[in-house]
Amino acid sequence: MKKALATFLAAALLAGSASAADKLVIKGSDTLGAKLVPLVAEAFKAQNPEVAFEIAAEGSTTGIAAITDGTANIGMASRRAKPTEVSAALAKGVSMKPTIVAYDGMAAIVNEANPVSQLTLRQVEQIFTGDITDWSAVGGNAGSFSIYTRNTSSGTYSDWKELAMKKRDYAGSSQKMAGNEQIAAEVANNPNGIGYVGLAYINVPGIRVVAIVGKDGKAVLPNDETVQAKTYPYARPTFFYTNGEPHGLTAQFVEFMLGAEGQSIAKKIGFVPVAKQ
Amino acid sequence: MRKLPLALLALCGGIALTTATAVAQDSAALVELLVKKGLINDQEAEDVRAELIKENASTPAGKLSLGSHVTEFKLGGDVRVRHQYDATTSQGAGTSLHRNRERFRFRFNGDAKLAGGWGAGFALETANAADSGNQTLENGNADYNIYLARAYVSWQANENLSLVGGKFKNPFQTTDLVWDGDINPQGLSETYDFRISEGSLQLRAGQFVMDDNDERKGSGPSYRDSFLFAQQLVYTNKLSNGVSVTVAPGYMFYNNASITGNNNETAFDGRTKGLSIATFSGSVKFPNVGANTLSLYWDSSYNFDADTRVHDIYGLSDSYGDGATAWLVGLGYAKGKGKDQGDWSVKLDYRRIGIGALDPNLSDSDFAFGHMNQQGIKLGGSYNVTSFASIGLTYFYTWDVQKSLKHAVAGLDKSSILQLDLVTKF
Repeated sequence: MKKALATFLAAALLAGSASAADKLVIKGSDTLGAKLVPLVAEAFKAQNPEVAFEIAAEGSTTGIAAITDGTANIGMASRRAKPTEVSAALAKGVSMKPTIVAYDGMAAIVNEANPVSQLTLRQVEQIFTGDITDWSAVGGNAGSFSIYTRNTSSGTYSDWKELAMKKRDYAGSSQKMAGNEQIAAEVANNPNGIGYVGLAYINVPGIRVVAIVGKDGKAVLPNDETVQAKTYPYARPTFFYTNGEPHGLTAQFVEFMLGAEGQSIAKKIGFVPVAKQ
Repeated sequence: MRKLPLALLALCGGIALTTATAVAQDSAALVELLVKKGLINDQEAEDVRAELIKENASTPAGKLSLGSHVTEFKLGGDVRVRHQYDATTSQGAGTSLHRNRERFRFRFNGDAKLAGGWGAGFALETANAADSGNQTLENGNADYNIYLARAYVSWQANENLSLVGGKFKNPFQTTDLVWDGDINPQGLSETYDFRISEGSLQLRAGQFVMDDNDERKGSGPSYRDSFLFAQQLVYTNKLSNGVSVTVAPGYMFYNNASITGNNNETAFDGRTKGLSIATFSGSVKFPNVGANTLSLYWDSSYNFDADTRVHDIYGLSDSYGDGATAWLVGLGYAKGKGKDQGDWSVKLDYRRIGIGALDPNLSDSDFAFGHMNQQGIKLGGSYNVTSFASIGLTYFYTWDVQKSLKHAVAGLDKSSILQLDLVTKF
């Protein structure tokens, strides 16, 4: 009887581990998780039908925390892990390993009716920090800025703060949105709206991308060339974080993401592929 | 997956051997440069960054998290070990009383610059006397308390105006004739910089809380809060020959209220009545005098209400001479600024303090132990044995301005203090 019970328990454990091995839990960035990763997962699943995916796109912070907590195989992040996050992970024996999966340009967007077509780096900083409050200060029609930002768990929120705002605080009047799509929708509906979205979200009707005038005086729009050449000032890599070097199914999926099909999907929806190295 | 090349591991190791701060500040630029030069690709750069962050995260500094609104945070302080010899003779006593004390002072302060022109800071130190951080070694191997000496919030409103509130460093241009260097005033302070084309001109003002009294219990000076209002113009100019001049006229006055529970080394508990004081301090610094800097400095005060002060508060109806005036003049000679090994300085001043010229709760607690009606010298010197450690010697010798003044603030015949110091900064 005891032997039969042991055999049953072992079989149940094996079944459970086999089931876990065929499931990939991916959490984190909305920038990656809203479109890109689900599409890549779908393509991967087409070749590996036994694999199940659980994808939650609630911000880069949640993805990095999930790797630390061991509740995800892959943490999607549109920003680098902060030293304090790496420290917290190390304390739990987790070693954060970043893999660049695509590049993104954070585009400054305005309502399509807005006459402003370009902004300097300084003007962008002034707008989002609240140093200036009216469109007339940057050559637009009179009217207060309606600033739309991501929420604080978003990697885009912190990347924008770092790259566009010299790490200063957002204006108190800014409104926090859950995702890129919400920002694009709000800006499309508000003639005084301004926000930022990833390249994958710039084709929403009713919005227009503003060129950024760099220190050299040249106006640059975000696209494959300017992001890859890093001439666009708000370009950034996006990451898959894993606990150490990925292995097993996780490694297979990361390789697939970096492969021709994964990168093709990334390009198709607006990301800039990782150059072959 | 790609392995980190040996060269990159060596780079990580090399950078990680530097301090955590250096890693944070320098490695990003270095890694970017390697990418730009095409020596490593983006993924390899990420691997390097990740390794560096892990190395940094394993250090104590790497576990420190500061808000993004903190643009600069400085921690520092010092420890001073002192041998002090005191000798005092009270008026009419004839004989001197002698005392030797072994003392130390610990100070630890933090000052943060925040976004938007804001700032905040604190200072901790031994001893709760407002005018001294000295802790005398006593009571077996007793441990000692630490007190909050500063806690402030500051705001640079614009390029001209800055404000400070809380308990903070003395904002005034002064000497220890009027303000003991250990006192951190409390209340509000404002500095307005006029941004003139030549030199610097500032208006500094302070509204300082001297004591809190309970208005609910009655009316009159004993039940009203005590305030000191001070304002000063400070003009500084560096002339073409390198000579720098600072002049600072000021005026300070109190409301008529009571101070009790004062914890100065020589405390004066009583009324703040009769203190309307004009001050004038300044200095002239001559660089390159025998390859070193010679400075002439002075300070002075005149109390317009000295008669009231002496008669009503000290209860003296006898003649007390020129009790409304206090002045100091001194010479200093220094090599360096006390920041490098081998720097040294010497200073000598003479000062004379009329009985009604100053607030005894503000003036230097070492000169005549904070008593009024004294004159004498202060001689001091220090030598930097390293960039951060120095030895020093200070000697005070004072004697009375006028004899037979029977009040605690004036009852000293003569005094001397010798202080031998070893100071290390951290």
